[in-house]
Amino acid sequence: MSLTREPAQELQLDPRLGDRVRVEDLGGGRQTMVMSMGPQHPSTHGVLRVVLTLDGETVVDAQPDIGYLHRNWEKIAEYMTYAMTVPFSDRNDYLAAITNELALVQAVEKLTGIDVPERAQILRIIFSELQRITSHLLWFGTFGLDLGAVTPFLHAFTAREYCYRLFEKATGARFLYGYLRIGGMRNDVPDGWIEDLLGFIDQLEREYWPGFMKLLVENEIFIRRTKGIGVLSREDAIAYAASGPVLRGSGVRYDVRKADNYLPYDRFEWDVPVGENGDVYDRAMVRMYEMLESAKIIRQAVKELPDGPVMAKVPRAIRPYGEVYHRVEGPRGEVGVYLVAAGDTNAYRARWRSPCFVNLQLLPLLARGHLVADLVAIIGSIDIVLGEVDR
Amino acid sequence: MSLLADIWKAAKSVVVGHAVTWKAATRAPVTVNYPDERPDLPKGYRGMPVLKTNLETGELNCTACGLCARSCPVNVIEVIEETDENGKRLRRPKVFNIDMSRCMVCNLCVEACPFDALEMANHFEIADYSVPNLIFNKEQLAEIWKQYDAVRLAGGEKP
Amino acid sequence: MPEWLVAALWAVLKASIALAFIGLNFIFLVWLERKVSARIQYRVGPYRVGKPHGWLQLFADAIKMFSKEDVMPAAADRWVWAAAPVVAFTPAVLLFVILPVGPNFGVQPDFNLGLLFLSAVSSFTLFGIFMAGWGSNNKYSLLGAMRAVAQLMAYEIPLVLAVLGVVMLAGSLSLQDIVEAQKDYWFVFPQFLGFIVFLIAAIAELNRTPFDLAEGESELVAGYFTEYSGIRWGMFMFAEYTNLFTMSAIAASLFFGGWNGPILPPVAWFLIKTYAFVLLAMWIRWTLPRIRIDQLLDLGWKFLVPVGLFNILITGLFLV
Repeated sequence: MSLTREPAQELQLDPRLGDRVRVEDLGGGRQTMVMSMGPQHPSTHGVLRVVLTLDGETVVDAQPDIGYLHRNWEKIAEYMTYAMTVPFSDRNDYLAAITNELALVQAVEKLTGIDVPERAQILRIIFSELQRITSHLLWFGTFGLDLGAVTPFLHAFTAREYCYRLFEKATGARFLYGYLRIGGMRNDVPDGWIEDLLGFIDQLEREYWPGFMKLLVENEIFIRRTKGIGVLSREDAIAYAASGPVLRGSGVRYDVRKADNYLPYDRFEWDVPVGENGDVYDRAMVRMYEMLESAKIIRQAVKELPDGPVMAKVPRAIRPYGEVYHRVEGPRGEVGVYLVAAGDTNAYRARWRSPCFVNLQLLPLLARGHLVADLVAIIGSIDIVLGEVDR
Repeated sequence: MSLLADIWKAAKSVVVGHAVTWKAATRAPVTVNYPDERPDLPKGYRGMPVLKTNLETGELNCTACGLCARSCPVNVIEVIEETDENGKRLRRPKVFNIDMSRCMVCNLCVEACPFDALEMANHFEIADYSVPNLIFNKEQLAEIWKQYDAVRLAGGEKP
Repeated sequence: MPEWLVAALWAVLKASIALAFIGLNFIFLVWLERKVSARIQYRVGPYRVGKPHGWLQLFADAIKMFSKEDVMPAAADRWVWAAAPVVAFTPAVLLFVILPVGPNFGVQPDFNLGLLFLSAVSSFTLFGIFMAGWGSNNKYSLLGAMRAVAQLMAYEIPLVLAVLGVVMLAGSLSLQDIVEAQKDYWFVFPQFLGFIVFLIAAIAELNRTPFDLAEGESELVAGYFTEYSGIRWGMFMFAEYTNLFTMSAIAASLFFGGWNGPILPPVAWFLIKTYAFVLLAMWIRWTLPRIRIDQLLDLGWKFLVPVGLFNILITGLFLV
């Protein structure tokens, strides 16, 4: 039985992260402790590894280590025809497949100048917003888990299941839809689907959302756990190119849907919720209210849904020429696709701008000086999907 | 006084949260007890791609043109056309394999097919203990379609 | 037979009945927790093993726990690591000694230092937890153990303060006397403040959500028992659930009249009140998020201790 530990060894602790990770002497016989959190940690949302330097429980430094889920989307996209890339883009941010497809498909449409029928445009809005709701529902659930509340997770999943049944009915798949096509959608929504959708929106607004607020977000413990934690200033948010709810939580009223209007969003009346302090609580509230805004958009879009085809006339083989960067507002931020087309059926160069990857950079900045428990809340509030971080 | 107000607010928020869980506990569970209860799959559900048979002639619709194999992003379809002894192409598949261990059910093969020979069946229980068993040949693919189609013709939507 | 032999046999009999009850109660509570959490979360919970309601799951869980591989980390401090589950488990069982199950019924309910024994023995669990955290030689375990020490220290004091009010009213430390003193009215009415303090401190003492910082699965994987598996892990679980039952029984005895009650036999009242508290603890666990360590200490030292002292002051003034 020994009550002393051997002194920290003078070796490089993590070759991948170099000398950014080392045991530091804090004076007075205190040393920092290096702790590897993940990639199999319950709350690193997949396979994120964070190398923490701790002083007791206080985070001195947090270095995210990524790449465990790298699937090489960019190279695959250069070897596949544009249509064949669509199911692969689903798998980047697997919680928001529709917005991924949308980014890719619209980029190709921009290149080739295909006009998408109006019905398909409005349907794309409906599906994007429904996807945003499902993604935020999952975020709500996992954020509850991060804070130690298990029940919100399953309540959110109950609501999410409703959503996924809608997706299943329209697209034939629950998760990775492969639904959008260059020039429109694969198929029109089935009969009675719109009514089901409105039923869900009703239930979300009437029952699920207030329930979530009461169960978790308005809870005193939740508020104390999140207020003033991981404050991201407006300037830092812009400097780090954050996007999505992380950016808006810091008070920047910027939304690609408003800025680019890549789908006819300007026809509808809706707000961009923004936070004030840029802390975990504000980011959480931005997401909560975005759910309601998405519901509002869906309600209006359904009213304006015109009849007509959902697919434009598209040649069998597309051989565009040129380069394009197209971005859409995914649930996690700005999803961008950059394509260089050299007159072939596949892209010469493809690049995926992943919002999670960019937002994850903020982690060392936000985590410094907080406790381990706060670090978990901060990771949750950034809302990363490792599939997209690593691509 | 503000301390008391804070305590009151905190206590209230906690009690309100408990009311939500109490309400949830009095509701019926939403779980589908899967092997006992079947999931209610919608019409266009994509379980796995299967080969359609022309029920009048009993032949496969497939002409072994290979468009599906070429449109497949993950290269799981293997088509070899049958030929007679003179090397004449018979426009029907000798081999038609789909490797379901890698298939991502994207529906692109169904869309590529000009002869309406492929379809997505609701069949989703394809799990097996060995990967080679997940390579379905043309007889198996046609058989799954027939089962699935028989249910559909009878008016049911379940597999 | 000589008198001492009768006494010894009687003690052995009592102890075996109590142990059998504790064991069965443990697996029942695990099953109950799974069921309660399931219903709160729109699930069905254990369902497949044994119909109705998966009641055989009780035994399946126990068998699984006994038969799983016992993995010891290579770098663990052998003896400390191996002794920790036992040290955590023993006080949980010991506490059954003082529970007043009925009038003059129980293992030793008229133990005249009952509540002192309670506070002394229940804080013993802490040693088990700290040994586990230290012996595992795992950073998560160590953090969990450190948290547990800070937490249990902070909540032991309000717990004792809350109990003191009841002791002053009853004029005895023996649980037997305290329950008997509640024949006419429950102590929860004069001691409401004390009850609230007791409730919060007891949940913290039990390491249950919202105070499950020592485990904190979203932060520390599983805290102090990260490295344990099989029956050793089971002993921690055993300690946790048995403590839950004991604390509920003590809460029922101190504030809700214990076995006092009309019509039904006293043992039934005891069990009903105890399980009501068990269910309350489960309900709380599956509703609230986890509190943070500094907030936890703030709540303990800056809120519960003053309130507990205030409660004693008021009680004293009334008694005088």
